[in-house]
Amino acid sequence: MRLTASIAALLLATTAAWSADQGPVTPMEVNPELAELGKRLFYDTRLSGDTNLSCSSCHQPDLAFTDGEALSTAYSGSEGFRNTPTLANVGQRSAWMHDGRLGTNLNDVSREMITEDYIMNMDMRMMQERLKQDPVYVKMFKATGKGEPSNGGARSALQEFLKSIASSGAPFDTGEMSEAAKRGYVNFKGKAGCTACHSGDRFTNDLPYNIGVPNNPDIWSDPLRHQTFVGYAKFMGVENYMNVREDLGAYVRNHKAETKRTFMTPTLRELTYTAPYMHNGMLATLEDVIEFYNQGGGDDPNKDPRLKPLGLTRGEKADLVEFLKALSGNSYNQPAYVWEQDDYEYEVVPDWKNATN
Amino acid sequence: MSKAMKKTVSAWALAGASVLAIATGAIAADRPAELAPLGDPPIPADNPQTPEKIELGKLLFFDPRLSGNGSMPCSACHLPDAGWDFPDKISLGYPGTVHWRNSQTIVNSAYYGNLFWAGSSKSLEAQAKSAAKGAVAGNGEDDMMEARLAFIPEYRERFKDVFGTEYPRLGHAWMAIAAFERTLVQTDTPFDNYMRGDDTALDDAQKRGLELFTGKAGCSQCHNGALLTNEKYYNLGVPPYDGWETDELAQITFRYELYAKGSTEEMYRSYKDDPGVYFRAKDKEHLGKFRVPSLRYTKYTAPYMHNGMIATLEDVVEFYNQGGGENQFAKTKSELIKPLGLNDQEKADLVAFLESLSGERIVMEEPELPEYDVLPTASN
Repeated sequence: MRLTASIAALLLATTAAWSADQGPVTPMEVNPELAELGKRLFYDTRLSGDTNLSCSSCHQPDLAFTDGEALSTAYSGSEGFRNTPTLANVGQRSAWMHDGRLGTNLNDVSREMITEDYIMNMDMRMMQERLKQDPVYVKMFKATGKGEPSNGGARSALQEFLKSIASSGAPFDTGEMSEAAKRGYVNFKGKAGCTACHSGDRFTNDLPYNIGVPNNPDIWSDPLRHQTFVGYAKFMGVENYMNVREDLGAYVRNHKAETKRTFMTPTLRELTYTAPYMHNGMLATLEDVIEFYNQGGGDDPNKDPRLKPLGLTRGEKADLVEFLKALSGNSYNQPAYVWEQDDYEYEVVPDWKNATN
Repeated sequence: MSKAMKKTVSAWALAGASVLAIATGAIAADRPAELAPLGDPPIPADNPQTPEKIELGKLLFFDPRLSGNGSMPCSACHLPDAGWDFPDKISLGYPGTVHWRNSQTIVNSAYYGNLFWAGSSKSLEAQAKSAAKGAVAGNGEDDMMEARLAFIPEYRERFKDVFGTEYPRLGHAWMAIAAFERTLVQTDTPFDNYMRGDDTALDDAQKRGLELFTGKAGCSQCHNGALLTNEKYYNLGVPPYDGWETDELAQITFRYELYAKGSTEEMYRSYKDDPGVYFRAKDKEHLGKFRVPSLRYTKYTAPYMHNGMIATLEDVVEFYNQGGGENQFAKTKSELIKPLGLNDQEKADLVAFLESLSGERIVMEEPELPEYDVLPTASN
């Protein structure tokens, strides 16, 4: 009896393999109607200045809301200089962007993405008037209790949709990890030391570190990317921004030398959808990522001292990769996360002269 | 760029420079005192003309990178072949939007003290900046536009040469564009020649039209001086833009402008016409008023008025003949606007005179624009 119980406990432990602080991500509480409105907004190109981009242009549902590029695309006439991050569990982050410069809430993040000149370059007053011209929005805003379409209401709705993007169905969570993945998790917590930063249910401590990821040369060889960086660096008050040829990461937040080239620890959820990796997409595969850490990270005088060569065997590396894969769950390419109707239309206000604006 | 075109371009640069040296010339004694031939444009002391600056300004005028998405140069709404304005009631508007006012010609804009229909910019430099940034025009953002210029090696050289800076500065771009625009002047129309003493420069119909212009039709009460405008603000009762009733993008822009330029809740909800100069000081006396435009070069700038609601010069004359029109802002309509009782002959004569205020079309081919390249690190 006692033996059976112990075996059962052992079985449970090895099946789920959860450690004290790591388990399934608890979904956030979401107002479903508001999230539905946010979903429609998320896929609407009219939220960008010249109507070329929607949030989903870079955050694509079949790629766990990334775009598969090393460096993201950007507003027409520009190109990006960082990798598009996943939106899996994005509402639970404590700071956003690879440099963590947005530390308040997703309402602010939405505003930043919509109005930033190299992202969506939208005057939100124009956005509001566009939304008011679409009868579907007029109806949906009213139904959610947000009154008539407004840019504040739109940001609330986007925030709600973003909060609804939760991880589910990962083998790690369902207790269906392979033996290799289980072995990988042991090393993940142990020999490889990954949980020093990749902690918690989202596998991130939401803090920035320098791990020595190599510079992405495409930023500096492509004028469209470099000029975007210049605009960003100038705005963030980076000294000598015309001659800087490195992404300084979270340094822009405090301008302290020790924070140069530090970047927010990313979540490890949904990695099978989100290659390539790192803030600048410099690592193509999960194997490359593990090898990168095995070698003690990259070459940077400011590198976190905890990064040391790990001496992992081939088998251990393969197991770690299997574990990382076991943190990916159901695709977001499903109705709950995709606005499937092609119903983005404006309608002329009838009897305009007598209508209330 | 063809050889022939290069010649045209350099001829323009020269013309731009040499126009500064041309004296206005004496006004013949028997000409109406309230009108004058057009002399040299005023050049601001802090932005002197140089051939290099003008040439740079010309490139920038045609360069779409001075806009939000890299598709909207100044020339998108000020087309050289279309009178240096946009040949529609309402200007083109940034992609995804439409504008809400008529585009005005660049030709002779050098002489205005008040740019834009509501006079909201006081110099060509300020006008260029505002147009490049406006959400329904260029929708550009300063840091991004300035960053783009730095990645064009030819611009780095030209800006350094003209302004002495290591990297192009956006403020200097507006100065160069303004300098280029100050070369787009026309001072030798039949009217100018007549005013300088050439009795044959106007035909009989035009001379009769001039007499009506300064007399019975009362045009010169506002359209006076060398630019044929007193640059003051009036409401003529021009009817509201009809596209607002039928075009969903126009409805969006209309509300946007009410919102962005600053309206009371009551105005935002109820207005159906352009409040015009009101937005500048939020003074109700200015509702529906717009700056009197120059009548020069109007042969090429149809349709007319701040919203393009009047199609031809004949229609404009008829509009005034009937004492203007009606719009939402009846309280501010100018008392100077009254039925004129002009007969068909008189109306035709007025139109003939108006046409004497335009010379030949000013044409220009688009220059070939310099390209982006990698930005070298400073060698220090």
